[in-house]
Amino acid sequence: MIRVQEATFDAGAEQQALLAGRTDIGAVVSFTGLVRDFNEHPEVSALTLEHYPGMTESALEAIVADARGRWPLDAVTVIHRVGRLGPGDPIVLVVVASAHRRAAFEACDFIMDYLKTRAPFWKKEHAGDGDYWVSERDSDHSDARRWEA
Amino acid sequence: MSLTHLNARGEAHMVDVADKPESRREASASGHIRMRPETLALLAEGGLPKGDVLATARIAGIQAAKRTHELIPLCHALALSKVTVDFRLDEADSRVDVTATCRLNGRTGVEMEALTAVSVACLTLYDMCKAVDKSMEIGAVRLDTKTGGKSGDYHREAFAAQAAPIVTGEGQAGEVSLGNRCDVATPCIRVKCLAELRERLGVGEVAVALDSLERSDVAGLKAALKGLDSRFMGLDEGRVLCAVNQVMASDTTPVTNEDEVAFFPPVTGG
Repeated sequence: MIRVQEATFDAGAEQQALLAGRTDIGAVVSFTGLVRDFNEHPEVSALTLEHYPGMTESALEAIVADARGRWPLDAVTVIHRVGRLGPGDPIVLVVVASAHRRAAFEACDFIMDYLKTRAPFWKKEHAGDGDYWVSERDSDHSDARRWEA
Repeated sequence: MSLTHLNARGEAHMVDVADKPESRREASASGHIRMRPETLALLAEGGLPKGDVLATARIAGIQAAKRTHELIPLCHALALSKVTVDFRLDEADSRVDVTATCRLNGRTGVEMEALTAVSVACLTLYDMCKAVDKSMEIGAVRLDTKTGGKSGDYHREAFAAQAAPIVTGEGQAGEVSLGNRCDVATPCIRVKCLAELRERLGVGEVAVALDSLERSDVAGLKAALKGLDSRFMGLDEGRVLCAVNQVMASDTTPVTNEDEVAFFPPVTGG
């Protein structure tokens, strides 16, 4: 299940929904990304997430399909928020369920690495000294390249 | 809605907050002090007789936030976890914009602290500059945002407007545009610029006639755009990505009538 939304989410409730009625799942890994109050500038008071409606959803679907091709996964949930968020707010949720833990850990890690480098989201941070668009990070690209070998 | 500082008999009283749960509270306020352009220039270059004006006003604002309860009768004394006071010199309007943010984990809001910080920082700016300019005017002291607590979050309208998700669109943040439709008679390509690129180029959406392209691919489209408006030279500055019909594309990807081509900076989600 893939959702792009303004509203917040409840990671626990989403995980329960994903597991409801299933007894074949042996492992579930959940990752939640949060807004930090420091980034390129200190004192980040908020950020605005812009996306490319339509392409965002298909990019996330392609990433999840890629993950399903690499690991035997029972269920995947990806939720990404857009709009204005404050420090401490959850931005992104990835929940991956599989029969065994290794697949769940790795697939969750993979989906986040690809999401950060391939899904059309852009962050504009509002800090004490003004607003700025966040730049891409080399470390995100090297993280994503780990899966290409 | 009732005034919480009045009791059942309409007398002033301090609200008992002992039973309220602690939560993270934050408030931001702003205001400005208008002055003559010469005064602002002196302030900017540090040429005023009382010395470093902004540093002094910042400390004054922070100290004032901490002592708000001594000034406002029914305010609680709070252990603030953070106070920031910032200044922006606005030469166009000949004024100094002052913003203050206060934060704590506690049982009462911190908007009075933020408003007090802005007010006292403005008064200190007046005091520091009055030797050269007595006509200065303090104005527009107001709460911009308040988060945490039972009464819910507050964002002043200009701030609330920013809160709308920006999707693809013409110009201003928060506006949603369905895109320019191509004229049925003339084959054309719809071009969108997203995020930082839209702001840098000042272009949200534009339709380009297909016959203005020398080559029917993304490179040909870029050349046609540059011919259309010199701002599109910016497509060559930094890393700019491209999608044709919402699929990642390169300079050699073919384009045709009614295609949607988006240009955007490297992605930064997650």
